[in-house]
Formats: sequence, structure tokens, C-alpha cells
Amino acid sequence: MSKRYKTKKFIVKREYQILAFILVFIAAGLVLLPKYKKNEGIMPELFVKNAISSERYISTDQLADKIINQDPSVLLIDMRSEKEFNEFSLPNAINIPLKNLLDDDYIGYIDQDIYDVILFSNDSFYADQAWMLGNRLGFKNLYVLKGGLNEWFNTIINPKYPDETMPREAFKLYDFRKAAGIYFGVGAPKTEKKAAPTKKVITVKKKKKRAAEGGC
Amino acid sequence: MGPLIPNGLIPVEWNYVIAILIGMAFGYILEASGFSSSRKLAGVFYGYDFVVLKVFFTSAVVSVIGLYYLDYLNFLDISQLYVQPTYLWAAIIGGMIMGVGFLAGGFCPGTSFCGAAIGKIDAIVFIIGLTIGIFVFAEAFTFLEPLFNSSNLGHITMVDILDISPYWFILIFTIIAIGSFVFSDWVRSKVKKVFY
Amino acid sequence: MKGKKQKNRHVYWNPYFGGFLLGLLIIATFYLTGRGLGASGAIKSGVVSMVHTVAPTHAENNAYYSKFIKEGESPLNNWLVFEAIGVLLGAFLSGALTGRLKLKVQHSPKISSRRRLIFALAGGLLFGLGAQIARGCTSGAALSGMAVLSVGGFITMIAIFGTGFMVAYFFRKNWI
Repeated sequence: MSKRYKTKKFIVKREYQILAFILVFIAAGLVLLPKYKKNEGIMPELFVKNAISSERYISTDQLADKIINQDPSVLLIDMRSEKEFNEFSLPNAINIPLKNLLDDDYIGYIDQDIYDVILFSNDSFYADQAWMLGNRLGFKNLYVLKGGLNEWFNTIINPKYPDETMPREAFKLYDFRKAAGIYFGVGAPKTEKKAAPTKKVITVKKKKKRAAEGGC
Repeated sequence: MGPLIPNGLIPVEWNYVIAILIGMAFGYILEASGFSSSRKLAGVFYGYDFVVLKVFFTSAVVSVIGLYYLDYLNFLDISQLYVQPTYLWAAIIGGMIMGVGFLAGGFCPGTSFCGAAIGKIDAIVFIIGLTIGIFVFAEAFTFLEPLFNSSNLGHITMVDILDISPYWFILIFTIIAIGSFVFSDWVRSKVKKVFY
Repeated sequence: MKGKKQKNRHVYWNPYFGGFLLGLLIIATFYLTGRGLGASGAIKSGVVSMVHTVAPTHAENNAYYSKFIKEGESPLNNWLVFEAIGVLLGAFLSGALTGRLKLKVQHSPKISSRRRLIFALAGGLLFGLGAQIARGCTSGAALSGMAVLSVGGFITMIAIFGTGFMVAYFFRKNWI
């Protein structure tokens, strides 16, 4: 009997034992393989998909409308530093500087699903960064004010008078912005950083917001 | 990273095409393993044919090991898979009724489809019985609802209730399955053969 | 008898091979769709759509049917229904390739085919009832449930087979 034949015979005779052994070996592999910690939050693919979509942006007009109508589901979060926040901010905004975003004191504001959280900074930059962090961790209902406060000044506080050639909608929009600007306490179209002098020192006790305050 | 359809990596339109293909593979495997024969299926309860136990346990072990390997290698997120909720008493009582039904009818729904497809009249009658059974359940739903909705334990897995690493559980489960194969072969060697 | 024994052994796949392929199929199903296989769900959709066609108001008032009725969409437009059609096709294909296609009633020589059919009907009725109570049958609850280590899957499987062994004695004439 050749050696090869013997091996073959052995395999045929004990095929089930061998298969069972392989199965247990593979199962044991799961136990023995080194464990590693998986990434928290949503999957990278989904994150990229969310990141390139522009659904997270809310325009200044939409936001002005929400504030004027005192939409109770909106929570405004100012991502700038405390100093800038004290100089000017939107009514009822809460100040969470970007570097403190994931602190225990503040995380409750963004990791929730009651409010539509609108993040803003001077432009969209900090707000976008904060949005990325939050989205990666799977937080819901996060939005970014498109263009940030600069855009807010250019559109709501100091809207540009439309050209004569522009369509009617542009004039309507202008009227709305003008009215909104008055609502927010700016009578004349001046680039004056005035508006509601926010004395609110980071009132971060509860998620409830006071009614909108302003020039009415 | 899977699962592909819920994560939008395959368009939803393909869903039904995939359903038919998966169903075809399922039917083919069941039929080719002998699940279209009610006497073969019932054999497990009398010790003359353990094909049900063998196919069932092998597939359970293979699938659970495979899924956890895919999870380990990051091809799949096991937490995204659908785990049906556990309603303790509904599962026990429903399972007992199914057990009696299995012995009386000799099929379970999936295998009765296979039997019906190759022309077993008893399988077709079994499907008619299934239809009536579901109809009876729906009509008596107000009466059965307390049982149906009682003792909801949520979407729990064995890992949650045994508080054990899933990997150890799989290893133990594999060994139990192999032990049951050895045991079933031993029983079969003791029992009088039945030909069908 | 000897020839028959040969036939018994070779007509079907090796059960471990079948189980291995079935396991791979379950993995593929979960990988593609995130859910398991099923069978009784298709018949449930069939019943719902039948009742909905025959007696729409009754179906909408019934607490169970109404769960599955959506406005403007047939209950048959369902993943499991398509899967069940696939099962029929696949089993037919396998039966055709191995020459098992035959219209007959399979039963033990000790009982009549009439008795077999009555028991099949009763068994189907009980199985349908039980599958609805337990939210799934052997494929949906037990097979797919066990693949994701669902507690319900294990309990359902133990209940089905445990009861099966308990009552096997009373049905022995039908099978042995």
C-alpha cells in the first residue's frame, strides 16, 4: 500500500471527524482572534454620503422665518468663542465653543432628538466641523446655518435692494428680509453690529428656551 | 459594508429580484436535501432519519459563524441585522402548537412549498391548512391578542441574556451541534430502518 | 429491500452538504437584505389580500389584517411573497432535474391517503395558527433567528421540536 493511498483511505474513513474538527477550529478562531474596538457611531460610507449632501444647510431666510414665528422646535447653538458670543449673537442662542462641543456639560444639547439643532458661526466653517463631529457620532437633527452670521448680516440685517430687472420674487424676498430686519431690531439698512445686546451668559441649565426677544 | 440593501448600496428596485433568486436557492437546497418528503422530515421524531436535525444545525452553525466572521472583518454590521422581538409566552405556546402541527402534517411552511412544487398533494393540502390557520388566527385576533403581545422582551439575543461573549457562545453551540450529530447517528443505528 | 436502501441513501444530498449551503445562503441573505428567510409570511400576505378583496371593510376593521393593509399597495407586494415564488421555482427545478416530479400523496403504507390528507390539513391549520402566534415559522423564526442568536429563535425551535418529541408517540401510526 502506498503512502498516498493510506492517506486517502484515512481521509475517506474519517471525513466526518475531519469536517467536525475543521468546524470547531473555525468557531474557536472567533474566540481566539484578537479583539479590537470598533469605531463608534455611523458607518464611514453613510457619513461621507451625509457629508456631501447639502441637506444639512438651512438658509438665513428659513431661519429668520422660524425665529419670527417662534418655532418651538428650534435650538440655536453658537459655535464661536465666548467673547464673540457676548458681542453679538442670534436671539436665544446658546454658546458652545467648538472645542467644548463634546464636553459633558454641552453634549446633551446636540445628542438629542427633540429639537432641530441649528449650528452657526461667523461663516459655515466651525458649524460644519461641529456638524461633522456630531453626525459621525450618530446625533440626529443637526443643521448648519448656511453662510453663518456673515450671511445673516448680508441678507437679513442688511438686505441688498434687488435690481429692477430681477423677478418679482426677489422683491418679495427683499420685503420679507426688510421686515425681518426690523423684527430683529435694525431699522435702517446699516451694517451696524447692534441688534439685541445679548447679556445672556451661557444659560445652560435646561433645554427649554425663552420666547424670542427682539424689537417688537 | 453590509447589509447592502438597507444601507442603500444596492438600489431598492433590485429587492424583489434578489428575493426571487434567494428563494430559488432556498427551495433548491431544501428540495435537494430531501425536505420535500414528509416522511423524511418526520423521521427525526422516530429516529429513522435525522436529516432535519443535521441540515438545521449545520446551517445554523455555519451561518452564525459566517456572520460573526463578516462582522469581525467589518464586511457587515451585526447590530444592523434584524433580530425578531422575543415574546416569551407567544414563542413557547406558538412553538408548541407548531410542534403538534408538524407531527400531524409532516411539513413546515417552507418545506410544504417544496413538496407542493414537485407535486405532493399532501403538501398542497398542508398549504391550504396553513391558509385556514392564519385566517382563524386573524379572526380570533382579539381573543389571542393578550397572548400575542404578552411578555415582550424586546429584540434580545442569547448574548444579552446569558451575558457571555458571542464567540464563546458560538463555540459551545458548535460543539453541541456536533455532539447532536454523533448522538443522532448512534440513535439511528439502534432504530429499525424505515423505507419510504 | 437492498436496492431501495441504496436509493434512500443516494437520492438526496448529504445533509451536511445541504446544511452548509443553506448556512451560506442565510449569510448571503443577511448580507444582502439585513433580514432572514421566511415562508409563512408569504401565506399571511396571501390571506390578507384575499380577505381584503372579498371583504374590504371587514379587513380594515380587523385589528390583525389592518396592520398589513397599506393604502394603494397590495399586501402581495411583499419581499416574502417574491421569496416564496422563488422557493416554488427552485424546488421545482431541483425536482425536475432529479426526476422527482410526480403528482402523488405520500403516506405510510399503514394509513390511507384520505387519512393522510386530513392530517395534513389539520397539521397545516395548527402550524399556521402557531406560526402567527410565535411571529414566524421554522424558517423565519427558528432558522433565521438562530443565525443572529435571537432568543426567540432558540425558544421557538426548542418548543417546536420538544413538543414534536412529546407527541410523536401519538402520531406514530402515520409515519412509521
